[in-house]
Amino acid sequence: MSAYVEVTDLRRVFDVSKPWLNRVIEREPRRFLTAVDRVGFEIVKGETFAIVGESGSGKSTVARMVVGLLPPSAGEVRIANVSMTDPRQAAARRRLRARIQMIFQDPYASMNPRWRVGRIIAEPIRAFDLIKGEAAIRARVGELLGLVGLHADDARKYPHAFSGGQRQRIAIARALASQAEFLVGDEPTSALDVSVQAQILNLMRDLQDRLGLTYLFISHNLAVVRHMATRVGVMYLGRLVEVAPSRDLFARPRHPYTRMLLDAVPDLAHVGRARTPVSGEIPNPIDPPPGCTFNPRCPLANDRCRTEVPALLDGVACHAVQEGRD
Amino acid sequence: MSGQDLDTGDIAAVPQPGAAAPSRWTAFRDSDLLASFLRSKLAVGALIATAVMVALALAAPLISPQNPYDPAQLDLINSNLPPIWQAEGQAPFYLGTDDQGRDVLSAVLYGLRLSLIVGVLGVLTSGILGIALGLVAGYAGGALDTLIMRIADVQLTFPAILIALVVDGVAKAAFGGALDVGPLIGLIVVSIGLSFWVQYARTVRSSVMVEKGKDYVQAARLIGLSAPVIMVRHVLPNVTGPVFVIATINLALAIITEATLSFLGTGLPETMPSLGTLIRTGNRFLFSGEWWIVAFPGLALAGLVIAINLLGDWLRDALNPKLQ
Amino acid sequence: MTEPVLSVRDLTVAFATRRGLLTAIDRVSFDIGRGEILGVVGESGAGKSVTGSAVIGLIDPPGRVAGGEIRLGGERIDTLSPAEMRRVRGKRIGMIFQDPLTSLDPLFRVGDQIVETLRTHTGLSARAARARAIDLLAEVGIPAPERRIDGYPHEFSGGMRQRVVIALALAAEPELIIADEPTTALDVSVQAQIITLLKRLCRDHGTAVMLVTHDMGVIAEAADRVAVMYAGRLAEIGPVASVVRDPHHPYAVGLMGAIPTLSQDADRLSQIPGAMPRLTAIPPGCAFNPRCPKVFARCRVDRPEPLPVGPSRVACHLYDKAARAA
Repeated sequence: MSAYVEVTDLRRVFDVSKPWLNRVIEREPRRFLTAVDRVGFEIVKGETFAIVGESGSGKSTVARMVVGLLPPSAGEVRIANVSMTDPRQAAARRRLRARIQMIFQDPYASMNPRWRVGRIIAEPIRAFDLIKGEAAIRARVGELLGLVGLHADDARKYPHAFSGGQRQRIAIARALASQAEFLVGDEPTSALDVSVQAQILNLMRDLQDRLGLTYLFISHNLAVVRHMATRVGVMYLGRLVEVAPSRDLFARPRHPYTRMLLDAVPDLAHVGRARTPVSGEIPNPIDPPPGCTFNPRCPLANDRCRTEVPALLDGVACHAVQEGRD
Repeated sequence: MSGQDLDTGDIAAVPQPGAAAPSRWTAFRDSDLLASFLRSKLAVGALIATAVMVALALAAPLISPQNPYDPAQLDLINSNLPPIWQAEGQAPFYLGTDDQGRDVLSAVLYGLRLSLIVGVLGVLTSGILGIALGLVAGYAGGALDTLIMRIADVQLTFPAILIALVVDGVAKAAFGGALDVGPLIGLIVVSIGLSFWVQYARTVRSSVMVEKGKDYVQAARLIGLSAPVIMVRHVLPNVTGPVFVIATINLALAIITEATLSFLGTGLPETMPSLGTLIRTGNRFLFSGEWWIVAFPGLALAGLVIAINLLGDWLRDALNPKLQ
Repeated sequence: MTEPVLSVRDLTVAFATRRGLLTAIDRVSFDIGRGEILGVVGESGAGKSVTGSAVIGLIDPPGRVAGGEIRLGGERIDTLSPAEMRRVRGKRIGMIFQDPLTSLDPLFRVGDQIVETLRTHTGLSARAARARAIDLLAEVGIPAPERRIDGYPHEFSGGMRQRVVIALALAAEPELIIADEPTTALDVSVQAQIITLLKRLCRDHGTAVMLVTHDMGVIAEAADRVAVMYAGRLAEIGPVASVVRDPHHPYAVGLMGAIPTLSQDADRLSQIPGAMPRLTAIPPGCAFNPRCPKVFARCRVDRPEPLPVGPSRVACHLYDKAARAA
């Protein structure tokens, strides 16, 4: 089975220097933040690939590069065999645009507050000129609203009339309006209450079953990822440290960071559990530690870990695991 | 406590899916803006005062006893008459006349009209210029942003009236000082426009920078819309709130600027007096006892500016969520 | 039974708005004993934070306590004047908020803020207060407290700042700590550290803690007892193991089922249809009745009172023996 999405050696560097005048006066050099460093993965059609990580891990930056909102500093994203970066494939990329959509975290910021819901959902249909005629567009918008559990008449209301969960349904309807087959969800439920989160997660799974959608699901919530993902990639400080099928990752985490994370998550099943305290915090990404970025917090770190960046081999980027020291 | 999870500002019931959508009018009738307006007696008073003055100004040709711009209607026999309630006062010159026999009431009404026209046109010019530059600077960023904002910074170091005087002087030098009234009004409008665009540009730029980071703009980029389309369709309508506040307060400033220009003699001529021109000419008679020639234009100007300013202040407070 | 540290009886909080009086908290009663952590959970709008604000006398106008009583160590505190209440806060009630930056003044060294609190409320000398402040920082796990005491808040990481806030809250040896979403702004791995710290400290000092959060995982790990709130009312209160594993109130059942966990495989999360009513539209009878799968006629007219069910108290007509017998 060939991959639908192929991401190779993706890298993104942000210039976080102070303004020129400040640098000259304070004699400071330019400073760069490597938000994403040599990240590569594949997504098979119809599956849900999740990227999990804490703040500053670079997971949202990966999502934005995959959909094309942010140009990568290096590396390549190919979707349905079309390169998202190669200028020679611009025409093919324009045709592909409609197939790729994104669902954002904050349902209060992801739609123009001055537009009625019908116009918001119809915008991609009009932009790609998919349906001719106002009546046909209106019918399609009503159909999409029904698909996500809302009523066709809701098209006439403004976004502020809806709750967070209902808005996230509208966002999904809009994403599906252009007949998208690949949806990237950037923390799509983390702004929602748990009972509403369950509604949205269930809806996303139902739609995947019905429409054969492929998902890239970005989240910091391990339990949500476990519920949604076919395969999971764990990111730490801009690098992918472990990639594994969801079942394996949660049953037998291999990278020391994954193990620590799984141990740290407060979980319903852990009533009154005495936990193993985890030490340390995530280092400043502008000035990450040399070698494996996890080495200052890792119980297995040795000199090699402090100097040499481990490569992702057989689904895990860790010298200790590769050397059998774990 | 930090995050009270109670939203008292937004308490309209969530309509159930399928319920009828409210019209714009009912939405406005139920809005907090209207409620806040009706609560503020000062704002209501200011609105009524402004509305009355605008109505009087618009109706000037219909209600004035004479047309002060028509020399044929002036009669020197009627010169320097005091207001009607004084011993020598004569109808129909209720507020007296000046040394040309011009009825002060008519001059004030026509002057009010001119001041408002110049003010509104000046605000429109500065607003359009400022909004366009602010949108471009905020959305494009980079060198273009730096260029526009540095020009704005430099301009802010000069008083607005100085810029208006310079524009006015340069233009008059270029055209030889023999301008008709129409182009003269245009010149004053441009002077005011060039003096006041900075505030719009700065406000719009900072709002645009906030809005363009929001996900709905990203969502529009995702479906391949171009930057100008996104700016006009999505960003512009969402940054207009603060612009209205500035425009209201700037209307008062623009009227004052025009009055100052006219008072200094570079604005409208005595044959077609605005409130500022009337104050300048009336000033000469202040010490010879004909106080009414300057007092009534002065009061009209002060009343108009205060009313518009109060309205602008209320609008600023009402639209600022931090003050609620 | 010894007297509880905090005793809340029939607490009612109302907000006067131009659309009428809104009842944000409606006759809520609970106790917290010495060294006990009571978790208060609910979705946004349930009134959990307002309950915390009411206890510390900091309800923003136009809200006010409209009924009931709040006793701290047997003494009524809801009737105290604002000046008296200011002395109670800080001395007898410590506070920890979601964003540590709101509790720390960025212009003062963290040590000076703790010393100020100590001197205001305990009358220690400047020298003794500084020594005590260093002890407190050491106790909350700040490395090298002698040096860090002279740091400014921005020099601390998010997790370290929250530790400083906990030290500040504990400074005057209060009887009660109100912690409002203390871990929500932190990364998962740091959350675990803060929960462990909070638990240990309140055991050691015998401090009662009211832990307000939307995160059931945090509650499951930290709390001894749990209060589940819905639409400003108490739905269920009881020991954490009972409420999490064997909830009785249909809302609590739905809520627990809606949370994805790391340990169970569920193809679909249980979901509660609809959303919590706004304060303007609380239905008559039981506030949960329009969403309840087990609703019957009485629920729509008669508001259920919390009644004992096993070790818990549950506000649901299903458990009212008299009603079932009839």
